[in-house]
Amino acid sequence: MSKSACAASSPTPSGNESNKRWDHLDMDSAWTALDVVTQTMLQKAIVDPKTVDLEKLSNAIVDQSLKDLSFCKDAGRMCYAVVQAEAQKAASSVFRRNLLTRLQQEFTAREETRNRSVQEWVCLVTFICSIFDYIKVNNAPLVALVDPVYDCLYRLAQPDALMIEEEVDCLVVQLHRVGEQLEQTNSQRMNQLFYLLRDGFLLQEDLSSMTRLLLLEILEFRASGWTLTDTAHKYYYSEVAD
Amino acid sequence: MSAHQKYKYENDYKPDENRNKGASRWSHCRKRGADGSLRKSHSVEEPGKCSQSSRRPESFTTPESEGPVSRVKNWGDEVEAEEMRSNVRRDMHRYRRRILEADFPQRERKISSGSSDSRDSRDSKESPAKGDIETDETTLIRRQKQINYGKNTLAYDRYIKEVPKHVRQPGVHPKTPNKFKKYSRRSWDQQIKLWRVKLHAWDPPAEEGSDLQQIEEIDLGEIMDFELDVECSSNTESHCPTSSGGSLSLAEDSFTGTPKKMMKIEDAEMS
Repeated sequence: MSKSACAASSPTPSGNESNKRWDHLDMDSAWTALDVVTQTMLQKAIVDPKTVDLEKLSNAIVDQSLKDLSFCKDAGRMCYAVVQAEAQKAASSVFRRNLLTRLQQEFTAREETRNRSVQEWVCLVTFICSIFDYIKVNNAPLVALVDPVYDCLYRLAQPDALMIEEEVDCLVVQLHRVGEQLEQTNSQRMNQLFYLLRDGFLLQEDLSSMTRLLLLEILEFRASGWTLTDTAHKYYYSEVAD
Repeated sequence: MSAHQKYKYENDYKPDENRNKGASRWSHCRKRGADGSLRKSHSVEEPGKCSQSSRRPESFTTPESEGPVSRVKNWGDEVEAEEMRSNVRRDMHRYRRRILEADFPQRERKISSGSSDSRDSRDSKESPAKGDIETDETTLIRRQKQINYGKNTLAYDRYIKEVPKHVRQPGVHPKTPNKFKKYSRRSWDQQIKLWRVKLHAWDPPAEEGSDLQQIEEIDLGEIMDFELDVECSSNTESHCPTSSGGSLSLAEDSFTGTPKKMMKIEDAEMS
């Protein structure tokens, strides 16, 4: 029902694209994490951005992302769908702007957030990286987010953070997702990050074996050009690490 | 050659002019504020939004600020600037390709709309092909912003819906200035002004905001000479069409005070 409404109401050739996107959204695992109100707003925003309070929607998505780690990973894709819809159908970028403003606020307060709740901090990093991954400008990554993402990863690579499994997990997961892109935009900072990782791996005595495993894997991953050789993959992934 | 030296314009030569959601005299013609959000009424400026200050050149400092070094950038602004830059670059590639195609026509040269239109009076189609196009990014971005102000109007929306490109006639129908052609600063600004004035013919009839009209009329009266003041005040029910994003030099430009009725007569005379 909504699909045909979408096709009928959008005169632009992107009507089909938004159909696909809408389908896609439905199957998104992040979708189920949202409450019904937000889901409705999101659907409407894709179909007709002008009818939705985009500022409210972006806040709802950011709020949810700070609570729910599984949501953050795919939230970027959802956000991108709205950004595209708004650009094509309303020729504006209110949603993106609000999203970025909110993100910047959260980013600025990240140390307090980390002190209050490591979970929330980890969600924040995951969300920022998800946005960086999905939202592009003319197919190029958002330059404005490059340094902030690096700042977050540097923080995660600090000795105190390496002691906390959720943070190490976050660090390596994000590097897998956006490491290559990040390096392309600024290789110097990536080099510096890896100095920290090597140091942590070698010098920090009280790291758990899991942490050391994760660090070793990411070191090899990058060394192989952001991929794993077959044998390395077998080593790390064919056995269940206890 | 170019009048760059004469003009002291910066990219944001009117840093004090409120281009955001604040009420300007032509707010009701604009469908959204500079931040992109749809304009409902005279809403308050968003908290935390510093796009005004961030439009100033980096070297701009006030005594109270921390100085040019540690100016915090707003991600929203940065991304929009990135986007504008990459859009301009993309436009340039497209334009260059179009120029090359025009040089080697496959079939009869069709009158294409947009920047590569060879009907433009001034330049022959040769000169762009020889690389004589505007390439300075700062200039292109500034011009694009001016174009965006014009396109970001209800008038423009109504115009493009009403008059499809193949129906448009030169002279009668407004045509977006081609940002890639070499023009002096003065010439370009004048083209933009004239374009925007022409677009006002498609302004929506003003339904509301008559209170605001009263206030605006008074302002208008102060700046303009008596004649125009009389014209405008006799049209309190309709708005006084003026360009919203451009300069406030109304006194110089007699066009900007032309009421809608007069515009239609003008158009009729031209055909």
